[in-house]
Amino acid sequence: MPAAATRGAVRPDLEQVFRREYPRVVGVAARVLGSRDEAEDVAQEVFLSFGRSSVPAAEAGGWLSVAAAHTALNLIRSGRRRTSREETVAATADAVTPDVADTVLTLEDRSRVRAALARLPRKQATALVLRHSGLSYAEVATALDLSPGSVGTTVRRAESALREELNRHASHG
Amino acid sequence: MRHTDEGVLRRLVDEPAGVPDADRTHVAGCPTCLRVLDDARADAQRVGAALGGPGAVDTDAAWARFSAAGSPAVAAGRPARAAARSRWGAAVRRPAVAALGAVVLVTGAGVAAANDWLPIFQTERVDPVEITSTDLVQVPDLSAYGDVEITQQPDPEQVPDAATAAERTGLEVPEVAELPEGVTGEPAYQVAGVVGATFTFSADKAAQAAAAEGEVLPPPPPGIDGSTLRFEAGPGVAAVWSQPTGVPTLVVARVGAPQVFSSGVPFEAVRDHLLSLPGLPDGLADQLRDLSTDAATLPLPVPAELVTSSTADVDGSEATVLTSRNGLFAGVVWVEDGVMTGVAGSLSADELLSVARGLG
Repeated sequence: MPAAATRGAVRPDLEQVFRREYPRVVGVAARVLGSRDEAEDVAQEVFLSFGRSSVPAAEAGGWLSVAAAHTALNLIRSGRRRTSREETVAATADAVTPDVADTVLTLEDRSRVRAALARLPRKQATALVLRHSGLSYAEVATALDLSPGSVGTTVRRAESALREELNRHASHG
Repeated sequence: MRHTDEGVLRRLVDEPAGVPDADRTHVAGCPTCLRVLDDARADAQRVGAALGGPGAVDTDAAWARFSAAGSPAVAAGRPARAAARSRWGAAVRRPAVAALGAVVLVTGAGVAAANDWLPIFQTERVDPVEITSTDLVQVPDLSAYGDVEITQQPDPEQVPDAATAAERTGLEVPEVAELPEGVTGEPAYQVAGVVGATFTFSADKAAQAAAAEGEVLPPPPPGIDGSTLRFEAGPGVAAVWSQPTGVPTLVVARVGAPQVFSSGVPFEAVRDHLLSLPGLPDGLADQLRDLSTDAATLPLPVPAELVTSSTADVDGSEATVLTSRNGLFAGVVWVEDGVMTGVAGSLSADELLSVARGLG
């Protein structure tokens, strides 16, 4: 169990890894949570775990991204989040969109996608979020211990499931 | 040739260079595959838009927050700064994460709590003591008042299964009846032996430490100078369920609850003396005094800014429930027959209580 092995000791490379990986780690959590504030909270927790871990520096990026995805997914799955924040942040982010109808649609899409994300098999949800956060297929494969060939299949399945979820609501609405 | 696999088509959307030439050639001339490729691209775009992104992230501010949050990892990397702020607080264990408590029962939070505070003492229950980060830097460490010697190291190690853990520790290894949703697989078992320490009061040392802070030490009660306390906790066992990344999602731990033995000084005398020493914030001293009337309640330092605490019933014992204010972690800890059990993880307090009540 590398994560908790060296309690109290600090990694000499912590600040360097933090500065290099922080934006992407926030990006991963934000895609799951839809809130930058919450994503930054998750990122702080994840780096705290990382700081006490002995994860090799070369694997830090993948480890941090996966940890952020899992932590964020746990958070939405447990329903312990502050949904009001999501709406505020999403509305601000969409304020640049000129078309009001687009804004509303995206906002609804976002909350549906997140609900559906929580119901996906964990590996699919993680692969999807990692890929959309800019990890390459090779990086996703290494981080999730998947064969490189199966990353596309896993991501595609996740996207199909989410698209069905979006369409189901679109046809009702 | 067979149609190209959907996973390969999906990769063609993002990383065409990663797709073999044969597949690309086939897709270019195959209306069926082109249609599937278009669908994959449309889905990817739509899902990507719905997932959104974080917008601009201020890494400098984030690092400043991380370093300032009292993170044990970062604080440990800056002993000079901690020492400059307060000699009295230099050796105090930062409880920001430790106070989430049960996670680290075996590795030391319970030990830290008892070791730093209440002597002559048999743990029968645990109560949270609210402590702020300002309090923390003021809190004196026992080594300022005398000599601390570790007499027995716990030598933690991982063992292959529950049976071995039971054999090594003599403890009944807790069995989880039903794992919460999202926690899967087999746990890793950690065991640790008894940790023992002695503390010998030194009136000289305490006076020096007080003088360094510009304080005058209250006179020690008769018999305190040179008397020794012996502290003991453990053995302990923890079952840890982790994500593939190594981040623990659920920890169930059991440990021989801390006890303190005295070479002759009564508990009340030691307690009153410790609580009267300079450096201890008044509010904290009051909380500890209220709590320590019976020599049986282990104060668990809880950082008030980060964690809220409440109580709940676990099979007839009163348990302390700690929940981090950001909702990411929670822990439940209780004591029964001299054994302290904790359940903690990145789950809700309700989920953890349900695990706690179902322990075999």
